[in-house]
Amino acid sequence: MSEDFNENKTIQAQSSETISGGETGVAPDIDYVRPAELSDQDLYHGHTFITKWVFCQDAKVIGVQYFLLATFTGIIGLILSWLMRLQLGFPGAAGFMTAEHYYQFVTMHGMIMVVYFLTALFLGGFGNYLIPLMTGARDMVFPYVNMVSFWMFFVAVGVLLASFFVPGGPTGSGWTLYPPQAILEGTPGSGMGIILMCVSLILFVAGFTMGGLNYLITILQARTRGMTLMRMPLTVWGIFTATVLAMLAFPALLVSALMMTLDKVLATSFFMPTILKAGEVLEYGGGTPILFQHLFWFFGHPEVYIVALPAFGIVSDLISVHSRKNIFGYRMMVWAIVVIGALSFFVWAHHMYVSGMHPWFGFFFATTTLIIAVPTAMKVYNWILTLWRGNIRMNTVMLWCLGFIVTFVNGGITGIFLGNVTVDVPLSDTYFVVAHFHMVMGIAPLMVIMGAVYHWFPLVAGRMLSEKLGKWHFWITFLGAYSIYFPMHYLGFIGVPRRYFEMYDSPYITSAVGMNEFISTAAFIVGAAQFILIYNIVVSLKMGKPAGKNPWQANSLEWLTPSVPPEHGNWGDKLPVVYRWPYDFSVPGAKEDFIPQTTPPSEVVETEVEKT
Amino acid sequence: MDEIKKEQTTTHKIGIYLWIWGLLFVLSFFSYMVDWYQFQGLLRWSLILFFMFLKAGLIMAFFMHLYWERYALVNVLLWPMTAIACFVGLMVAEGKYTLFSRLFYFFVGGG
Amino acid sequence: MSSDPKIEGYKFKPGYSGMAADTASDQTMFKGVHWGKAMMWIFLLSDTFIFSCFLISYMKGRASTPVEWPNPSEVFALNAFGVPVPLLLIAIMTFVLITSSGTMALAVKYGYERNRKMCGWLIIATALGGLTFVGMQVFEWSKLIHEGVRPWENPFGAAQFGSFFFMITGFHGTHVSIGVIFLFIYAYKTFAGHYDEGKRGWFTTMKGDYVEIEILGLYWHFVDLVWVFIFAFFYLW
Repeated sequence: MSEDFNENKTIQAQSSETISGGETGVAPDIDYVRPAELSDQDLYHGHTFITKWVFCQDAKVIGVQYFLLATFTGIIGLILSWLMRLQLGFPGAAGFMTAEHYYQFVTMHGMIMVVYFLTALFLGGFGNYLIPLMTGARDMVFPYVNMVSFWMFFVAVGVLLASFFVPGGPTGSGWTLYPPQAILEGTPGSGMGIILMCVSLILFVAGFTMGGLNYLITILQARTRGMTLMRMPLTVWGIFTATVLAMLAFPALLVSALMMTLDKVLATSFFMPTILKAGEVLEYGGGTPILFQHLFWFFGHPEVYIVALPAFGIVSDLISVHSRKNIFGYRMMVWAIVVIGALSFFVWAHHMYVSGMHPWFGFFFATTTLIIAVPTAMKVYNWILTLWRGNIRMNTVMLWCLGFIVTFVNGGITGIFLGNVTVDVPLSDTYFVVAHFHMVMGIAPLMVIMGAVYHWFPLVAGRMLSEKLGKWHFWITFLGAYSIYFPMHYLGFIGVPRRYFEMYDSPYITSAVGMNEFISTAAFIVGAAQFILIYNIVVSLKMGKPAGKNPWQANSLEWLTPSVPPEHGNWGDKLPVVYRWPYDFSVPGAKEDFIPQTTPPSEVVETEVEKT
Repeated sequence: MDEIKKEQTTTHKIGIYLWIWGLLFVLSFFSYMVDWYQFQGLLRWSLILFFMFLKAGLIMAFFMHLYWERYALVNVLLWPMTAIACFVGLMVAEGKYTLFSRLFYFFVGGG
Repeated sequence: MSSDPKIEGYKFKPGYSGMAADTASDQTMFKGVHWGKAMMWIFLLSDTFIFSCFLISYMKGRASTPVEWPNPSEVFALNAFGVPVPLLLIAIMTFVLITSSGTMALAVKYGYERNRKMCGWLIIATALGGLTFVGMQVFEWSKLIHEGVRPWENPFGAAQFGSFFFMITGFHGTHVSIGVIFLFIYAYKTFAGHYDEGKRGWFTTMKGDYVEIEILGLYWHFVDLVWVFIFAFFYLW
């Protein structure tokens, strides 16, 4: 294979600055890298238990804190989904479950999973842990602000969970919180519930802004010598673009949450039209409910990509490492991430085809939606082409990656269905939609999270997770998740509406009863299977096989720290210098099948490395 | 730490600040005059927008030093505004449509 | 400030080719830009989206209400010498805010020239301008409340007028107030010489530098910038 490419390749990798440095006539030093622009960052080292592990300024500890808290809320979301499935599969089996409870569980499950679990886990958890390590920084640029960010998140989760215990319970208006019903009597939790939800979201946005500024400035302004943007692992690119989206999309959520709080507390009518209730005109009047939907989805659609883009990035790295091949079309992958991110601000109203918005909008948004499918599809092709003829290691991480590709393609294709107005209108508010978004932004990113946990656990803990348990975990989750969501497409086609507490005896839905029972059973099993991972983590922390340095033989910087797990400050005395991209796997002519990013060109003169 | 290795930071002559300062006062005065003389319709709106963007541009370019910044920073800051422009444009249409449907169904009686 | 700094081994190029070179280079994308300044810029970008969302909501709300929108030039008129002058208070507020923006710009300039006294006094002047602005806003609010304008209703027309007015000017006023607090803190730090000595900050290990005045200045000019938009859209439109 290598002979075919010999002609077109330069033999040596060079720093981009080398050429300009060689004007003097002396042979240019191929290992030359520009000196540091900034002096080394001073860090505050904690000494007590509190400053080391609780109010800690080390991004790695903050990342683990984010991870644990997000997982905790995620488990609450999981339990809520169990209760919902119990009701749907076996109506009346849970005696306490009323329709109000069901709506509250739907709402809280959605909000927790999207915002407090996936967003916090990807950006707060993986972002904090990996950004400084992968870009070769000592820490985030503003460690104190970073710490405050986590504790704001902590308070936000506290406020959110507090709404379970206030009179009326948490809000039951669906995770989209559409007014007017969200704050009108008759909707469960329309009192304190919705107020606490809005307050919690505002706190989350404020906290996230602090973290997000850190991630962005660390990536843009604090990279190590030789680390250009086009030598960053795709993980960092994914998290970076997602953070940009978050910084620009969360304002819309903040504004809508604030205005809704005012509508509730001060009886303003931002979103509240004139309402006739039981023959009586309410005090509200003149507001526009559809404005809330626009604001919400101006946040909500980028939010989908806030979850998806880090997953794209991480899975690219995992696939490359575990198939021992460079990522196919690295630059295309980067540009695809950036283009998807940019386009995501122009597609929001495809969530609103049936909302009664301006009828011409459907055309605009269907077009942009289909355009955004193009870079997404490119990414899928590139993952598959990375696997093509690779030296694939069929370990747990790789299994999760393959699971991701399958579920993502499945969810993506149904997305193209729903992006077209004429197809969407009959499918709106059916289980087809539920199946679509759970496939594409529930299961698929979750597969990546699982793969990432198995991949980076050795770095965080210094010990390997059990492969055997991991494979059980994967197969139960993968097959189970398919058993849950695949039949839901069918339910959607026969017209089963989403968000219904019970179908009662609707004649056309009786054929769905058996299927609902099947789905629910699968959901219980899949949910329970997640505790295999928790057991695996707990046991492996103490008894796992010691990982040693760089157990996966990866190239990126996080595996090249002087100590594993890395200490505060990451790099010991000297910052690493980067000479290449992180994907030099199976390079023809190289001694080993990987060339770490810190290997200087003079050591690999005889090989055919990519010029990056 | 984050000190840039450089010698003396160069600053700009005081005249430029005073000029911009003066211009801002004059432009604010003009936009106030738009209201004073009660211009109406398209003339009013275009004048308001013209003075507004001019003032905003001057503040950003000179007081916030964007004019002297490198393009890498300037472009990062200005391109996201296209999303806002799109949002504004669509909401203009949406606002008109909502008003139309309200008048049509509530007052004209389209039912 | 912002003429190109000297960076060892890096050649600055102008214009878009410079942008490409900066973006493609290692270590930093914004060459010579302090971390805090880059952070403030990105934060302001995010904040711009917040205010944009407020103003877009206002536009959508106003455009779609069939009820008559109150005429701002009458609502905000003020009696001077027995004659109602439209927008008098607003004009003065605009004047004050632009003045404070100018003093801030000069404070940044003198800071970089390491003229500690001048810088400090100009920051104080800016803070006083901000305080005057907030004071006048309080006056304006109380006058309107006195006339029966509430967030949920008002005697002049569409109820949304009061809602948007109090929310948007309130949010802007909050920004001004926070700015004033920070201006006083930074004035203290300037006079105490923290930026001359490079004293480390209270919550950071970074050494003090006059660039912090510029960062604060960015925030303050942004507050002024937002006012330009609010003035145009809320009071003039």
